[in-house]
Amino acid sequence: MNAKQKITAPTFAARHPELGTGPVSTDVYCDPAFYDRELAAIFKRTWLCVGRVEQAPKPGDFFQKALPTFGYSVIVARARDKQLRAFYNVCQHRGNHVELRQRGHCVGFTCPFHGWTYGLDGKLVGVPDASGFFDLDKGKLGLRQLALDVWEGFIFVNMDEKPSQTLEEAMGEQGRDLVGYPFASGQAVFEYEGTINCNWKSMIDSFCETYHVPVLHRHSVKDTLAGPDNPYGRLIDCRLKGPHRTQSVWGNMAYTPNPVQGLAWQNAPGPAVTSGVVDASVTLPKGLNETRAKHWSLDVTVFFPNWIIVMGSGMYFTHQMWPLAANKVVWQMRGFLRPASNAAQRFGQENSMVELRDAVLEDCNTLERIQTAQDEGLITEMVYHDHEIALRHQYHVVKQWVEDFEKSGNKKGKGAR
Amino acid sequence: MPKSARGDAPLLPKGFKRLTPLVADWVLADSRARLEKRLTTPPAEIRAFYDQMLSLAPKALAYLAQRQLGELDAAEERLLKLLLSLAEMGPAVEWYGTGEYPDGFDARRFRLIEQMPDNAPQGVSA
Repeated sequence: MNAKQKITAPTFAARHPELGTGPVSTDVYCDPAFYDRELAAIFKRTWLCVGRVEQAPKPGDFFQKALPTFGYSVIVARARDKQLRAFYNVCQHRGNHVELRQRGHCVGFTCPFHGWTYGLDGKLVGVPDASGFFDLDKGKLGLRQLALDVWEGFIFVNMDEKPSQTLEEAMGEQGRDLVGYPFASGQAVFEYEGTINCNWKSMIDSFCETYHVPVLHRHSVKDTLAGPDNPYGRLIDCRLKGPHRTQSVWGNMAYTPNPVQGLAWQNAPGPAVTSGVVDASVTLPKGLNETRAKHWSLDVTVFFPNWIIVMGSGMYFTHQMWPLAANKVVWQMRGFLRPASNAAQRFGQENSMVELRDAVLEDCNTLERIQTAQDEGLITEMVYHDHEIALRHQYHVVKQWVEDFEKSGNKKGKGAR
Repeated sequence: MPKSARGDAPLLPKGFKRLTPLVADWVLADSRARLEKRLTTPPAEIRAFYDQMLSLAPKALAYLAQRQLGELDAAEERLLKLLLSLAEMGPAVEWYGTGEYPDGFDARRFRLIEQMPDNAPQGVSA
Protein backbone atom coordinates (compact mmCIF):
# COMPACT_ATOMS: atom_id res chain seq x y z
CA MET A 1 0.00 0.00 0.00
CA ASN A 2 0.99 3.55 -0.62
CA ALA A 3 -0.30 5.97 2.03
CA LYS A 4 0.12 8.94 -0.28
CA GLN A 5 -2.47 7.69 -2.76
CA LYS A 6 -4.90 5.96 -0.39
CA ILE A 7 -8.36 7.13 -1.38
CA THR A 8 -10.36 9.34 0.93
CA ALA A 9 -13.69 9.04 -0.80
CA PRO A 10 -16.45 11.57 -0.21
CA THR A 11 -20.05 10.61 0.54
CA PHE A 12 -22.51 11.78 -2.06
CA ALA A 13 -26.00 11.17 -0.65
CA ALA A 14 -25.73 14.12 1.72
CA ARG A 15 -25.01 16.44 -1.21
CA HIS A 16 -28.18 15.34 -2.98
CA PRO A 17 -30.95 14.71 -0.44
CA GLU A 18 -33.52 15.09 -3.23
CA LEU A 19 -32.42 11.72 -4.65
CA GLY A 20 -33.06 9.83 -1.40
CA THR A 21 -31.28 6.70 -0.26
CA GLY A 22 -33.99 4.03 -0.53
CA PRO A 23 -34.40 1.27 -3.10
CA VAL A 24 -35.18 2.31 -6.68
CA SER A 25 -37.80 0.56 -8.82
CA THR A 26 -36.70 -1.35 -11.92
CA ASP A 27 -39.87 -0.27 -13.74
CA VAL A 28 -38.16 2.23 -16.03
CA TYR A 29 -35.77 -0.48 -17.25
CA CYS A 30 -38.28 -3.05 -18.43
CA ASP A 31 -41.76 -1.60 -18.94
CA PRO A 32 -42.54 -1.37 -22.68
CA ALA A 33 -45.15 1.34 -22.02
CA PHE A 34 -42.59 3.48 -20.24
CA TYR A 35 -40.21 2.94 -23.14
CA ASP A 36 -42.78 4.43 -25.54
CA ARG A 37 -43.17 7.42 -23.24
CA GLU A 38 -39.37 7.90 -23.20
CA LEU A 39 -39.21 8.00 -26.96
CA ALA A 40 -41.83 10.73 -27.17
CA ALA A 41 -40.64 12.76 -24.19
CA ILE A 42 -36.88 12.36 -24.58
CA PHE A 43 -35.48 10.97 -27.81
CA LYS A 44 -37.74 12.93 -30.17
CA ARG A 45 -36.90 16.24 -28.53
CA THR A 46 -33.36 16.22 -27.17
CA TRP A 47 -30.06 16.93 -28.92
CA LEU A 48 -28.41 13.74 -30.17
CA CYS A 49 -24.77 13.54 -31.25
CA VAL A 50 -24.21 12.36 -34.84
CA GLY A 51 -20.52 13.01 -35.47
CA ARG A 52 -17.66 15.48 -35.49
CA VAL A 53 -16.80 18.43 -37.70
CA GLU A 54 -13.64 16.64 -38.92
CA GLN A 55 -15.94 14.19 -40.76
CA ALA A 56 -17.00 16.98 -43.14
CA PRO A 57 -14.29 19.66 -43.07
CA LYS A 58 -14.62 21.10 -46.59
CA PRO A 59 -17.53 22.39 -48.67
CA GLY A 60 -18.95 19.39 -50.54
CA ASP A 61 -18.07 16.91 -47.79
CA PHE A 62 -20.87 14.85 -46.31
CA PHE A 63 -21.43 11.82 -44.12
CA GLN A 64 -24.42 9.71 -43.28
CA LYS A 65 -25.41 8.65 -39.78
CA ALA A 66 -27.94 5.92 -39.09
CA LEU A 67 -30.18 6.53 -36.07
CA PRO A 68 -31.17 2.98 -35.07
CA THR A 69 -33.84 4.16 -32.63
CA PHE A 70 -35.79 5.77 -35.44
CA GLY A 71 -34.87 3.39 -38.25
CA TYR A 72 -33.79 6.16 -40.58
CA SER A 73 -30.55 7.96 -41.30
CA VAL A 74 -29.55 11.57 -41.56
CA ILE A 75 -27.09 13.23 -43.93
CA VAL A 76 -24.76 15.89 -42.55
CA ALA A 77 -23.34 18.05 -45.35
CA ARG A 78 -21.20 21.15 -45.64
CA ALA A 79 -22.41 23.38 -48.47
CA ARG A 80 -20.55 26.04 -50.44
CA ASP A 81 -21.50 28.64 -47.83
CA LYS A 82 -19.40 26.46 -45.41
CA GLN A 83 -22.46 25.84 -43.23
CA LEU A 84 -23.20 22.36 -41.92
CA ARG A 85 -26.77 21.17 -42.38
CA ALA A 86 -28.54 17.94 -41.49
CA PHE A 87 -31.24 16.34 -43.61
CA TYR A 88 -33.36 13.23 -43.40
CA ASN A 89 -32.03 10.90 -46.08
CA VAL A 90 -35.41 10.82 -47.77
CA CYS A 91 -36.23 11.85 -51.33
CA GLN A 92 -39.31 14.09 -51.41
CA HIS A 93 -40.60 12.35 -54.54
CA ARG A 94 -41.28 8.83 -53.24
CA GLY A 95 -39.20 8.47 -50.06
CA ASN A 96 -36.14 6.55 -51.21
CA HIS A 97 -32.69 7.35 -49.83
CA VAL A 98 -31.05 10.13 -51.85
CA GLU A 99 -27.53 9.07 -50.77
CA LEU A 100 -26.25 5.54 -50.30
CA ARG A 101 -22.57 6.23 -49.51
CA GLN A 102 -21.60 6.52 -45.86
CA ARG A 103 -19.32 9.47 -46.55
CA GLY A 104 -17.87 11.33 -49.48
CA HIS A 105 -17.50 14.55 -51.40
CA CYS A 106 -20.07 15.73 -53.93
CA VAL A 107 -21.81 18.71 -55.49
CA GLY A 108 -25.24 17.43 -54.47
CA PHE A 109 -27.38 14.36 -53.93
CA THR A 110 -29.09 12.37 -56.67
CA CYS A 111 -31.79 9.90 -55.72
CA PRO A 112 -30.91 6.54 -57.30
CA PHE A 113 -34.63 5.81 -57.90
CA HIS A 114 -35.76 8.45 -60.47
CA GLY A 115 -32.83 10.83 -60.43
CA TRP A 116 -34.20 13.79 -58.47
CA THR A 117 -31.26 15.96 -57.48
CA TYR A 118 -30.71 18.15 -54.44
CA GLY A 119 -28.03 20.69 -53.62
CA LEU A 120 -25.75 20.44 -50.59
CA ASP A 121 -28.09 23.01 -49.02
CA GLY A 122 -30.99 20.57 -49.47
CA LYS A 123 -32.76 22.53 -52.21
CA LEU A 124 -34.39 20.52 -54.98
CA VAL A 125 -32.48 21.48 -58.12
CA GLY A 126 -33.38 18.86 -60.71
CA VAL A 127 -36.40 16.75 -61.66
CA PRO A 128 -36.08 14.57 -64.78
CA ASP A 129 -39.01 15.10 -67.20
CA ALA A 130 -40.43 17.74 -64.88
CA SER A 131 -43.12 18.73 -67.40
CA GLY A 132 -44.95 15.47 -66.67
CA PHE A 133 -45.75 16.51 -63.08
CA PHE A 134 -48.74 18.57 -61.99
CA ASP A 135 -48.22 21.92 -60.24
CA LEU A 136 -44.72 20.88 -59.13
CA ASP A 137 -43.37 23.46 -56.64
CA LYS A 138 -39.65 22.76 -56.35
CA GLY A 139 -39.33 25.37 -53.60
CA LYS A 140 -41.45 23.20 -51.30
CA LEU A 141 -39.78 19.89 -52.10
CA GLY A 142 -36.31 20.35 -50.69
CA LEU A 143 -34.82 17.70 -48.39
CA ARG A 144 -36.37 17.86 -44.92
CA GLN A 145 -33.91 19.56 -42.63
CA LEU A 146 -33.26 18.90 -38.94
CA ALA A 147 -32.04 21.36 -36.34
CA LEU A 148 -28.22 21.11 -36.15
CA ASP A 149 -25.72 22.70 -33.81
CA VAL A 150 -22.12 22.10 -32.77
CA TRP A 151 -20.52 21.81 -29.33
CA GLU A 152 -16.70 21.56 -29.13
CA GLY A 153 -16.59 20.08 -32.63
CA PHE A 154 -19.33 17.50 -31.97
CA ILE A 155 -22.35 17.75 -34.28
CA PHE A 156 -25.81 17.32 -32.75
CA VAL A 157 -29.25 17.12 -34.33
CA ASN A 158 -32.71 17.39 -32.83
CA MET A 159 -35.86 15.70 -34.18
CA ASP A 160 -38.00 18.46 -32.73
CA GLU A 161 -38.74 21.06 -35.42
CA LYS A 162 -38.62 23.75 -32.75
CA PRO A 163 -36.30 22.46 -30.01
CA SER A 164 -37.32 23.60 -26.54
CA GLN A 165 -33.66 24.28 -25.71
CA THR A 166 -30.68 25.39 -27.77
CA LEU A 167 -27.76 22.97 -27.77
CA GLU A 168 -25.83 25.40 -25.58
CA GLU A 169 -28.69 25.46 -23.07
CA ALA A 170 -28.98 21.68 -23.16
CA MET A 171 -25.25 21.13 -22.54
CA GLY A 172 -25.46 23.67 -19.74
CA GLU A 173 -22.89 23.97 -16.99
CA GLN A 174 -21.47 20.51 -17.72
CA GLY A 175 -20.83 21.49 -21.33
CA ARG A 176 -19.24 24.80 -20.41
CA ASP A 177 -16.96 23.13 -17.88
CA LEU A 178 -15.43 20.85 -20.54
CA VAL A 179 -14.71 23.57 -23.10
CA GLY A 180 -11.03 23.45 -24.01
CA TYR A 181 -10.47 19.70 -23.76
CA PRO A 182 -8.32 18.72 -26.79
CA PHE A 183 -11.12 16.85 -28.57
CA ALA A 184 -9.74 17.73 -32.01
CA SER A 185 -6.43 15.99 -31.26
CA GLY A 186 -8.16 12.60 -31.37
CA GLN A 187 -7.53 12.01 -35.05
CA ALA A 188 -6.91 8.25 -35.04
CA VAL A 189 -10.42 6.88 -34.82
CA PHE A 190 -12.00 3.46 -34.37
CA GLU A 191 -15.58 2.44 -33.69
CA TYR A 192 -17.28 -0.66 -32.33
CA GLU A 193 -21.00 -1.37 -32.54
CA GLY A 194 -23.09 -4.02 -30.90
CA THR A 195 -26.70 -4.90 -30.23
CA ILE A 196 -27.19 -5.76 -26.58
CA ASN A 197 -30.37 -7.21 -25.12
CA CYS A 198 -30.74 -4.69 -22.33
CA ASN A 199 -32.32 -1.35 -21.56
CA TRP A 200 -30.41 1.68 -22.83
CA LYS A 201 -30.16 3.13 -19.34
CA SER A 202 -28.71 -0.08 -17.88
CA MET A 203 -25.85 0.19 -20.30
CA ILE A 204 -25.24 3.80 -19.30
CA ASP A 205 -25.35 2.72 -15.64
CA SER A 206 -22.67 0.11 -16.26
CA PHE A 207 -20.18 2.88 -17.07
CA CYS A 208 -21.27 5.14 -14.21
CA GLU A 209 -19.97 3.36 -11.16
CA THR A 210 -16.61 1.80 -10.33
CA TYR A 211 -17.83 -0.31 -7.41
CA HIS A 212 -17.72 -3.22 -9.91
CA VAL A 213 -14.11 -2.65 -11.04
CA PRO A 214 -12.30 -4.85 -8.48
CA VAL A 215 -14.67 -7.77 -9.11
CA LEU A 216 -16.05 -7.74 -12.65
CA HIS A 217 -12.75 -6.48 -14.08
CA ARG A 218 -10.63 -8.78 -11.89
CA HIS A 219 -8.72 -10.04 -14.95
CA SER A 220 -8.12 -6.64 -16.55
CA VAL A 221 -8.26 -3.14 -15.04
CA LYS A 222 -8.73 -4.08 -11.38
CA ASP A 223 -5.17 -3.07 -10.51
CA THR A 224 -5.05 0.13 -12.56
CA LEU A 225 -8.43 1.71 -11.76
CA ALA A 226 -8.63 0.16 -8.28
CA GLY A 227 -6.00 -1.71 -6.24
CA PRO A 228 -4.73 -2.06 -2.69
CA ASP A 229 -5.11 1.65 -1.97
CA ASN A 230 -8.67 1.73 -3.31
CA PRO A 231 -9.83 -1.86 -2.81
CA TYR A 232 -13.55 -1.24 -3.39
CA GLY A 233 -13.23 1.01 -6.42
CA ARG A 234 -14.41 4.17 -4.70
CA LEU A 235 -14.83 7.25 -6.86
CA ILE A 236 -12.73 10.36 -6.42
CA ASP A 237 -15.83 12.43 -7.06
CA CYS A 238 -19.29 12.41 -8.62
CA ARG A 239 -20.80 15.66 -9.84
CA LEU A 240 -24.40 16.07 -10.94
CA LYS A 241 -25.02 19.09 -13.17
CA GLY A 242 -28.63 19.36 -14.27
CA PRO A 243 -29.54 16.17 -16.16
CA HIS A 244 -25.85 15.34 -16.74
CA ARG A 245 -23.42 13.53 -14.43
CA THR A 246 -19.66 13.00 -14.15
CA GLN A 247 -17.56 10.47 -12.27
CA SER A 248 -13.89 11.11 -11.59
CA VAL A 249 -12.14 7.78 -11.48
CA TRP A 250 -9.12 6.97 -9.36
CA GLY A 251 -5.89 5.66 -10.90
CA ASN A 252 -3.24 3.47 -9.30
CA MET A 253 0.06 5.28 -9.85
CA ALA A 254 1.91 2.46 -8.04
CA TYR A 255 0.90 -0.13 -10.66
CA THR A 256 3.65 -1.93 -12.58
CA PRO A 257 2.46 -2.81 -16.09
CA ASN A 258 2.72 -6.27 -17.64
CA PRO A 259 5.49 -6.72 -20.25
CA VAL A 260 3.55 -6.08 -23.47
CA GLN A 261 1.33 -3.57 -21.74
CA GLY A 262 4.41 -1.65 -20.58
CA LEU A 263 5.86 -1.58 -24.11
CA ALA A 264 2.50 -0.36 -25.40
CA TRP A 265 2.37 2.44 -22.86
CA GLN A 266 5.91 3.53 -23.73
CA ASN A 267 5.01 3.59 -27.40
CA ALA A 268 1.57 5.19 -27.28
CA PRO A 269 0.94 8.75 -28.51
CA GLY A 270 -0.90 9.36 -25.22
CA PRO A 271 -1.70 7.37 -22.07
CA ALA A 272 -4.42 4.72 -22.49
CA VAL A 273 -7.57 5.28 -20.42
CA THR A 274 -7.13 1.80 -18.98
CA SER A 275 -3.64 2.63 -17.71
CA GLY A 276 -4.29 4.88 -14.72
CA VAL A 277 -1.48 7.06 -16.10
CA VAL A 278 -1.71 10.85 -16.63
CA ASP A 279 0.06 13.08 -19.13
CA ALA A 280 0.88 16.03 -16.91
CA SER A 281 1.60 18.29 -19.88
CA VAL A 282 -2.10 18.45 -20.79
CA THR A 283 -4.01 21.40 -19.34
CA LEU A 284 -7.33 20.08 -18.15
CA PRO A 285 -10.50 22.14 -18.40
CA LYS A 286 -12.28 23.03 -15.14
CA GLY A 287 -14.77 20.20 -15.44
CA LEU A 288 -12.23 17.41 -15.89
CA ASN A 289 -10.87 16.01 -12.63
CA GLU A 290 -12.57 19.00 -11.07
CA THR A 291 -11.21 18.32 -7.59
CA ARG A 292 -7.69 18.18 -9.11
CA ALA A 293 -7.00 14.85 -7.40
CA LYS A 294 -3.44 13.62 -7.89
CA HIS A 295 -4.37 9.98 -8.34
CA TRP A 296 -6.87 10.56 -11.10
CA SER A 297 -7.08 8.50 -14.27
CA LEU A 298 -10.23 9.49 -16.19
CA ASP A 299 -13.61 11.17 -16.05
CA VAL A 300 -16.85 9.64 -17.30
CA THR A 301 -19.33 12.33 -18.31
CA VAL A 302 -22.86 11.37 -19.30
CA PHE A 303 -24.68 13.97 -21.34
CA PHE A 304 -28.40 13.35 -21.08
CA PRO A 305 -29.91 11.38 -22.59
CA ASN A 306 -27.67 8.88 -24.41
CA TRP A 307 -24.11 10.11 -24.90
CA ILE A 308 -21.05 9.44 -22.72
CA ILE A 309 -17.55 10.85 -23.09
CA VAL A 310 -14.77 9.07 -21.23
CA MET A 311 -11.78 11.38 -21.07
CA GLY A 312 -8.23 10.72 -19.96
CA SER A 313 -5.26 13.00 -20.42
CA GLY A 314 -4.09 11.17 -23.56
CA MET A 315 -7.16 9.79 -25.31
CA TYR A 316 -10.92 9.77 -25.08
CA PHE A 317 -13.82 7.73 -26.32
CA THR A 318 -17.56 8.03 -26.51
CA HIS A 319 -20.41 5.61 -25.93
CA GLN A 320 -23.79 6.18 -27.50
CA MET A 321 -26.90 4.18 -26.75
CA TRP A 322 -29.69 3.91 -29.33
CA PRO A 323 -32.67 2.09 -27.82
CA LEU A 324 -34.66 -0.33 -30.00
CA ALA A 325 -37.04 -1.57 -27.30
CA ALA A 326 -37.29 -1.53 -23.50
CA ASN A 327 -34.88 -4.46 -23.50
CA LYS A 328 -32.73 -3.90 -26.58
CA VAL A 329 -30.13 -1.27 -27.47
CA VAL A 330 -27.64 -0.53 -30.21
CA TRP A 331 -24.41 0.60 -28.58
CA GLN A 332 -21.64 2.45 -30.39
CA MET A 333 -18.20 3.13 -28.94
CA ARG A 334 -15.97 5.50 -30.85
CA GLY A 335 -12.34 5.87 -29.79
CA PHE A 336 -10.29 8.99 -30.46
CA LEU A 337 -6.52 8.59 -30.13
CA ARG A 338 -3.77 11.08 -30.78
CA PRO A 339 -2.10 10.50 -34.16
CA ALA A 340 1.01 8.33 -34.18
CA SER A 341 4.14 10.42 -34.58
CA ASN A 342 6.11 7.34 -35.67
CA ALA A 343 5.37 3.77 -36.77
CA ALA A 344 6.05 2.28 -33.32
CA GLN A 345 3.18 4.29 -31.84
CA ARG A 346 0.75 2.38 -34.04
CA PHE A 347 1.51 -0.56 -31.68
CA GLY A 348 0.57 1.53 -28.64
CA GLN A 349 -2.65 2.64 -30.35
CA GLU A 350 -3.63 -0.95 -31.15
CA ASN A 351 -3.10 -2.04 -27.57
CA SER A 352 -5.11 0.93 -26.23
CA MET A 353 -8.00 -0.14 -28.48
CA VAL A 354 -7.73 -3.82 -27.55
CA GLU A 355 -7.55 -3.20 -23.79
CA LEU A 356 -10.58 -0.91 -23.98
CA ARG A 357 -12.60 -3.42 -26.01
CA ASP A 358 -11.67 -6.26 -23.68
CA ALA A 359 -12.75 -4.29 -20.60
CA VAL A 360 -16.10 -3.40 -22.20
CA LEU A 361 -16.66 -7.05 -23.20
CA GLU A 362 -16.48 -7.83 -19.50
CA ASP A 363 -19.29 -5.35 -18.83
CA CYS A 364 -21.79 -6.75 -21.31
CA ASN A 365 -22.67 -10.23 -20.03
CA THR A 366 -24.03 -8.73 -16.84
CA LEU A 367 -26.35 -6.46 -18.81
CA GLU A 368 -28.27 -9.25 -20.52
CA ARG A 369 -28.56 -11.24 -17.29
CA ILE A 370 -29.84 -8.21 -15.40
CA GLN A 371 -32.38 -7.53 -18.13
CA THR A 372 -33.75 -11.06 -17.98
CA ALA A 373 -34.09 -10.80 -14.20
CA GLN A 374 -35.97 -7.50 -14.54
CA ASP A 375 -38.18 -8.66 -17.43
CA GLU A 376 -39.16 -11.77 -15.47
CA GLY A 377 -39.84 -9.84 -12.26
CA LEU A 378 -37.06 -11.64 -10.41
CA ILE A 379 -35.74 -8.31 -9.23
CA THR A 380 -38.08 -5.34 -8.85
CA GLU A 381 -35.96 -2.89 -6.88
CA MET A 382 -32.31 -1.90 -6.85
CA VAL A 383 -30.45 -1.01 -3.65
CA TYR A 384 -27.71 1.43 -4.49
CA HIS A 385 -24.33 2.08 -2.83
CA ASP A 386 -23.51 5.72 -2.13
CA HIS A 387 -20.97 5.55 -4.97
CA GLU A 388 -23.71 4.34 -7.33
CA ILE A 389 -25.44 7.70 -6.99
CA ALA A 390 -25.15 8.37 -10.72
CA LEU A 391 -27.56 5.46 -11.33
CA ARG A 392 -30.03 6.93 -8.87
CA HIS A 393 -29.61 10.27 -10.61
CA GLN A 394 -30.37 8.84 -14.05
CA TYR A 395 -33.54 7.19 -12.73
CA HIS A 396 -34.81 10.48 -11.30
CA VAL A 397 -33.85 12.57 -14.32
CA VAL A 398 -35.54 10.23 -16.81
CA LYS A 399 -38.73 9.92 -14.74
CA GLN A 400 -38.89 13.67 -14.17
CA TRP A 401 -38.26 14.45 -17.85
CA VAL A 402 -41.09 12.15 -18.97
CA GLU A 403 -43.53 13.41 -16.32
CA ASP A 404 -42.78 17.08 -17.02
CA PHE A 405 -43.31 16.55 -20.74
CA GLU A 406 -46.65 14.83 -20.18
CA LYS A 407 -47.79 17.42 -17.62
CA SER A 408 -47.19 20.14 -20.18
CA GLY A 409 -50.10 18.71 -22.20
CA ASN A 410 -48.30 16.37 -24.53
CA LYS A 411 -49.60 12.97 -25.50
CA LYS A 412 -48.44 9.93 -23.58
CA GLY A 413 -46.59 7.05 -25.08
CA LYS A 414 -46.50 7.52 -28.80
CA GLY A 415 -43.67 5.51 -30.34
CA ALA A 416 -40.94 7.11 -32.38
CA ARG A 417 -41.50 5.27 -35.62
CA MET B 1 5.83 -19.51 -45.69
CA PRO B 2 4.99 -16.73 -48.18
CA LYS B 3 7.59 -15.85 -50.73
CA SER B 4 8.99 -12.36 -50.51
CA ALA B 5 7.97 -9.92 -53.21
CA ARG B 6 11.39 -9.62 -54.82
CA GLY B 7 13.24 -12.89 -55.16
CA ASP B 8 15.67 -13.13 -52.28
CA ALA B 9 14.61 -9.95 -50.47
CA PRO B 10 14.33 -10.71 -46.75
CA LEU B 11 10.85 -10.99 -45.25
CA LEU B 12 11.83 -8.83 -42.29
CA PRO B 13 14.34 -6.00 -41.76
CA LYS B 14 17.90 -6.89 -40.88
CA GLY B 15 18.27 -7.96 -37.27
CA PHE B 16 14.82 -9.57 -37.07
CA LYS B 17 15.47 -12.79 -38.99
CA ARG B 18 14.64 -14.82 -35.89
CA LEU B 19 10.99 -13.74 -36.25
CA THR B 20 10.70 -14.97 -39.86
CA PRO B 21 8.91 -18.23 -38.91
CA LEU B 22 6.09 -16.12 -37.40
CA VAL B 23 5.36 -14.21 -40.60
CA ALA B 24 3.16 -16.83 -42.25
CA ASP B 25 0.66 -17.07 -39.39
CA TRP B 26 0.87 -13.73 -37.60
CA VAL B 27 1.12 -11.04 -40.30
CA LEU B 28 -2.59 -10.36 -40.66
CA ALA B 29 -4.77 -8.07 -42.74
CA ASP B 30 -6.18 -5.79 -40.09
CA SER B 31 -7.55 -5.44 -36.55
CA ARG B 32 -10.59 -7.61 -37.32
CA ALA B 33 -8.36 -10.45 -38.53
CA ARG B 34 -6.19 -10.17 -35.42
CA LEU B 35 -9.16 -10.58 -33.07
CA GLU B 36 -10.36 -13.59 -35.08
CA LYS B 37 -6.86 -15.09 -34.81
CA ARG B 38 -6.93 -14.60 -31.06
CA LEU B 39 -10.34 -16.25 -30.72
CA THR B 40 -9.39 -19.27 -32.83
CA THR B 41 -5.83 -19.99 -31.66
CA PRO B 42 -5.13 -22.42 -28.78
CA PRO B 43 -3.71 -20.69 -25.67
CA ALA B 44 -0.37 -22.52 -25.94
CA GLU B 45 0.18 -21.23 -29.48
CA ILE B 46 -0.70 -17.68 -28.44
CA ARG B 47 1.76 -18.01 -25.57
CA ALA B 48 4.53 -19.26 -27.88
CA PHE B 49 3.99 -16.34 -30.26
CA TYR B 50 3.93 -13.92 -27.32
CA ASP B 51 7.21 -15.24 -25.91
CA GLN B 52 9.03 -15.20 -29.24
CA MET B 53 7.84 -11.69 -30.04
CA LEU B 54 8.49 -10.26 -26.61
CA SER B 55 12.18 -11.11 -26.81
CA LEU B 56 12.63 -8.83 -29.84
CA ALA B 57 9.75 -6.38 -29.36
CA PRO B 58 11.78 -3.62 -27.63
CA LYS B 59 14.31 -3.70 -30.47
CA ALA B 60 11.55 -3.77 -33.11
CA LEU B 61 9.77 -0.82 -31.52
CA ALA B 62 13.03 1.16 -31.34
CA TYR B 63 13.53 0.41 -35.04
CA LEU B 64 10.01 1.49 -36.02
CA ALA B 65 10.21 4.60 -33.85
CA GLN B 66 12.61 5.87 -36.52
CA ARG B 67 10.09 5.23 -39.30
CA GLN B 68 6.84 6.89 -40.36
CA LEU B 69 3.53 5.20 -41.13
CA GLY B 70 2.90 5.15 -44.88
CA GLU B 71 6.64 5.13 -45.62
CA LEU B 72 7.46 1.58 -44.56
CA ASP B 73 8.84 -0.92 -47.07
CA ALA B 74 7.26 -4.39 -47.27
CA ALA B 75 9.65 -5.94 -44.73
CA GLU B 76 9.12 -3.10 -42.26
CA GLU B 77 5.37 -3.34 -42.69
CA ARG B 78 5.51 -7.06 -41.84
CA LEU B 79 7.47 -6.24 -38.70
CA LEU B 80 4.84 -3.67 -37.72
CA LYS B 81 2.05 -6.17 -38.34
CA LEU B 82 3.77 -8.75 -36.13
CA LEU B 83 3.83 -6.12 -33.39
CA LEU B 84 0.15 -5.31 -33.96
CA SER B 85 -0.65 -9.00 -33.49
CA LEU B 86 1.35 -8.82 -30.25
CA ALA B 87 -0.78 -5.84 -29.18
CA GLU B 88 -3.89 -8.02 -29.63
CA MET B 89 -2.38 -11.10 -27.95
CA GLY B 90 -0.89 -9.14 -25.02
CA PRO B 91 -4.10 -9.05 -22.95
CA ALA B 92 -4.90 -12.65 -23.98
CA VAL B 93 -1.74 -13.74 -22.15
CA GLU B 94 -1.37 -11.06 -19.49
CA TRP B 95 -5.01 -10.66 -18.48
CA TYR B 96 -6.81 -13.89 -19.32
CA GLY B 97 -4.33 -16.68 -20.04
CA THR B 98 -6.49 -17.61 -23.02
CA GLY B 99 -7.62 -16.07 -26.31
CA GLU B 100 -11.25 -16.29 -25.30
CA TYR B 101 -12.90 -14.36 -22.51
CA PRO B 102 -13.65 -16.02 -19.17
CA ASP B 103 -17.28 -15.05 -18.46
CA GLY B 104 -16.96 -12.45 -21.19
CA PHE B 105 -19.46 -11.30 -23.78
CA ASP B 106 -19.16 -12.94 -27.22
CA ALA B 107 -16.42 -10.80 -28.79
CA ARG B 108 -17.87 -11.37 -32.26
CA ARG B 109 -20.97 -9.46 -31.21
CA PHE B 110 -18.84 -6.30 -31.12
CA ARG B 111 -18.47 -5.25 -34.76
CA LEU B 112 -15.42 -3.11 -35.51
CA ILE B 113 -17.21 -0.84 -37.98
CA GLU B 114 -14.34 1.61 -38.34
CA GLN B 115 -10.72 0.64 -37.77
CA MET B 116 -7.39 2.44 -37.80
CA PRO B 117 -5.39 1.52 -40.92
CA ASP B 118 -2.27 -0.47 -40.04
CA ASN B 119 0.14 1.54 -42.13
CA ALA B 120 -1.21 4.89 -43.32
CA PRO B 121 -0.11 8.40 -42.37
CA GLN B 122 -2.17 9.91 -39.57
CA GLY B 123 -3.06 13.55 -38.95
CA VAL B 124 -0.87 16.03 -37.16
CA SER B 125 -1.49 16.43 -33.45
CA ALA B 126 -3.73 19.44 -32.80
